Amino acid sequence: MPKMSKEMIVCQVCNGDPRLSLTCKHCGGAGVGVSSSVGFLVWDEPIDDFSIGFRSFRRKAFTAIHLTILIIAMTTLVLFAWQVDALKDLSVVQTMTFWVSGRWFVTLFWFGLFLDCFFIFRLFEYTHDSKTLPNWGKTKAMVEKQKVSDLKDFRFSIVLYFSDASRKVIEDAYKVVKSLKRTEITPVALFAAALASRAGGNFMVRLGMPFDKVKGPIARILMSESGGAPPIALSRDSKHVLALAFLSAYDLNRKTVDVMDIFLQSFSASTHLQEALDQLGFPPEHVLRVGEWMRLRDLMREDHDRFAALAALKPKSIMNRAMTARQTLLLDRFSEDLTLAARNGYLAPIVGRGGVMDELLRAIESGRRSVALVGPNGVGKAAIIEQLARRMVEEDVPPELFDKRLVTIHIPQVIAAGDPTLAAERFLAILREVNMSGNIILVMHGIESLTGTGTGGPMDLAEMLANELENGYLLTIVTTTPDSWTRYIERRTLAAKLIKVMVPEMSVEETLKVLMVRSGFIEYQNKVFFSYAALEKAATLALRYLHDRAAPENALNVIREAAVLARKSRGEDTFVTAEDVAKVVHDKSNIPVEAVTQSETQKLLNMEDHLHTRVIGQDQAVKAVSQALRRARAELREGKRPIANFLFLGPTGVGKTELAKALAAEYFSNEESMIRLDMSEYQDAGSVTRMIGAAGDEHGGLLTEAVRHNPFTVVLLDEIEKAHPDILNLFLQVMDDGRLTDGIGRTVDFTNILLIATSNAGSSFIQSEISNGASIEVITTGLLERELKSIFRPEFLNRFDGIIVFKPLTMDDMIQIAWLMVNGVAERLEAQKGIIFRAEDPAVEALASAGYDPSFGARPLRRVIQNRIDNKLADLILRGEVGRKDTIVLQEDGSMHVKKAKMV
Amino acid sequence: MATRSNAVGKLIFIDLVGSVVWFPIWWYTKGLQKVVGSFVRAIQYRSQSYALRIWIKNFFVPMYGQYDWTGRLISVFMRMVVLIGRLIALAIEALIYAVGVAAWIVAPALFLIVGVLNLLHGAVG
Repeated sequence: MPKMSKEMIVCQVCNGDPRLSLTCKHCGGAGVGVSSSVGFLVWDEPIDDFSIGFRSFRRKAFTAIHLTILIIAMTTLVLFAWQVDALKDLSVVQTMTFWVSGRWFVTLFWFGLFLDCFFIFRLFEYTHDSKTLPNWGKTKAMVEKQKVSDLKDFRFSIVLYFSDASRKVIEDAYKVVKSLKRTEITPVALFAAALASRAGGNFMVRLGMPFDKVKGPIARILMSESGGAPPIALSRDSKHVLALAFLSAYDLNRKTVDVMDIFLQSFSASTHLQEALDQLGFPPEHVLRVGEWMRLRDLMREDHDRFAALAALKPKSIMNRAMTARQTLLLDRFSEDLTLAARNGYLAPIVGRGGVMDELLRAIESGRRSVALVGPNGVGKAAIIEQLARRMVEEDVPPELFDKRLVTIHIPQVIAAGDPTLAAERFLAILREVNMSGNIILVMHGIESLTGTGTGGPMDLAEMLANELENGYLLTIVTTTPDSWTRYIERRTLAAKLIKVMVPEMSVEETLKVLMVRSGFIEYQNKVFFSYAALEKAATLALRYLHDRAAPENALNVIREAAVLARKSRGEDTFVTAEDVAKVVHDKSNIPVEAVTQSETQKLLNMEDHLHTRVIGQDQAVKAVSQALRRARAELREGKRPIANFLFLGPTGVGKTELAKALAAEYFSNEESMIRLDMSEYQDAGSVTRMIGAAGDEHGGLLTEAVRHNPFTVVLLDEIEKAHPDILNLFLQVMDDGRLTDGIGRTVDFTNILLIATSNAGSSFIQSEISNGASIEVITTGLLERELKSIFRPEFLNRFDGIIVFKPLTMDDMIQIAWLMVNGVAERLEAQKGIIFRAEDPAVEALASAGYDPSFGARPLRRVIQNRIDNKLADLILRGEVGRKDTIVLQEDGSMHVKKAKMV
Repeated sequence: MATRSNAVGKLIFIDLVGSVVWFPIWWYTKGLQKVVGSFVRAIQYRSQSYALRIWIKNFFVPMYGQYDWTGRLISVFMRMVVLIGRLIALAIEALIYAVGVAAWIVAPALFLIVGVLNLLHGAVG
């Protein structure tokens, strides 16, 4: 849980006692304080009925005084004008003597003007209740420069730096304490008052926290904590909280200490409060993050004003301020001016990425100049460049970038000429224009398209660019993906001219912050509001399940779609909830991420029964897979491996593949979506390429592509013992990390698959042990210790969550399977031909015994059914001996009896 | 901690009565500082928007990338003209602000003195 970091220092005389300190001469009423670079921060004003009333009286009295002064001053001027107007001869006004003539209205006029001066003075000095914080309005650079680490020890009263709203929160906390007949204003009381304020209301709406739900528990904490004799006073911790609120506002260069500053600090100060809210379903991290979100919005607003003032200094046209630039007609046709867009307010600011930005600026300053931003798609490379454009507008950049413009060139348009020579000529002409103009920094997204890889033609603009960069006139910032960098750029001359700056994917925490900043615009566009739960869900789910684009873009796309979904389904001014976000992610990925519904719960709890309708016997196997699914859906598994990895062992025809199919049909949308790979087809080393694809092959591998398109499914590896050892090594990684990099370099996510490998290895051992009456446990141990050792490496076997032995089928199992198959025939016949099919018990038993072969399991049964039922049925239908609604009964001797339907 | 009587005393003697005494002192110290400060900032902002420093630094750099000798000549001439023009504009603006500061300094004293003169004159007259 969050703890306060800045130590509080207690008065040695009164020991910071809330009441003793009121009259303590040593600390002047402060009791406690915090050392800082601003001074020794103290809150030294009492909060009581008198001070609250007095403050309000003072404010009203001042307003009355100012109004009176203004009215008097105005009256004198009106009287003067009226009297002058009444003069017979207006020309006297032009004489000097008139103004010192001693006429009563002239005298009044002068005193009226003097009163105006007094009014201006009062306006400046007595109308602002709070002072602005010392760092307000300074740029980051200015604050950096004055930063001193030594603590100053002179006393610094923080009272006047609190905004009106935050003063009111403190007074309200007093009222809450008074109404509950307590005697100390504790951090919990401050929190309660902050929660009841307007900003607090906003906070609760975002967090989805109804006031009624938290009111009771907070009141109970308040009732339990403060004792002691009256009068009511600020507790030691509260004074500490107020000092820390001041410090955090100061560190963020805010104008005044605001409600959210008190809110966040008071929450962090009380573990009781954190525990109580945690129990109600609001973990401390969530509360703090929403609080910071609200504060972030205020900060963005303040920052916008500052940016707008600086942007006005930037030229409105392509010309730089030194006017050394020249026209760039060709470039203008194929490009967009980012600095101009930023100046006009079209580019949004970003949060985070400070490290990458510093690295980028350092690379530019280093003198080798041109930079390549390398990161996966969606990671925000364009946003970083847009932020650079904003900083160039503010001139908060190294001198190399002063008075320059950042221009992004559309490569596809340039090379769209069709004729490679024309494209090359055009590109060269554009580069020349940039060189001549001298005030342009060129941005090129997707630099790999310059290498002509897509067309396969002789067009290689990359060399041309490398040549121009060699001359040293040109400064460019290019972007590409790590994969393209390795494949197309790294070994070329161009790479040597560029400084590579990696842009890593964002973490959930960072993504959440980006969503907080960017959500405002999406809210405005769609006229909806985001709850915190929605943003948090979007960040976590997008990072876990959506891998087409990197974070934060995948999460941003999710909240954009969720906003539209919420507006369309519930109308404007509604809240986008976590469920909306889950639905969007589900639709995109096919993975059930919504909260588990009642019907799904039932299905999961009865999974064994459902599976047993298709798989006869094999209780242990059915139980193991059902439990794995329940763990996965209750989110109890580690997120970094597949849902489960199973190895099914046993003789052929005992239901290994059937269980996998049943699972796919029951839980993973449908049987067909199962990815089934017959390992006998992957026996040579070259088959790895078939499975994961090869570099340069756009189609990708069979396995990786299938999982990329359908990440939530069963992957069945039939007869795994036949696969080449290299293939088994691939699956080592899948089973351990839940991901696989395909031939093209894309990482494919395997964390939502259920991996099932089947094998006949050790079948004869299983059969002989079963006939000797050994238990499944003994057989499994025997298999692992002896039989499988020669076939699989121990680390491969270790990766499985369960190695499940399928027992050979008994005669009872066979009868049940025979029933399943006969029923299957009956269902098909009725559905397709409208003919009813029944079988007598002895007939089915006869089928089962005819199809029973311990070494082939249930497989011969299918042939028996084909011979004895399907063939005969076909004859009957072809001979026209059976019609719709007739009933066919299979009898013990294998004959079929047709009962004709009654004619209506 | 400030007692109640202190608070009331501060209100009456410092915030109300005291402000009458504080007024002239404030006007010629803190107030004057504020006014001058805001004028200086306005001039700085204007000179930034005129990009004077950049123009002086680039005085001999030809405009519009015209590197031939006629281009250079015309450019230096143009730069001189524009610089002088902008300096004059800046000077005029500074002058107006200076008048403003002078008015700030003179105003209350002038109003009071002439007012009192009128009063005396009226009484005499």
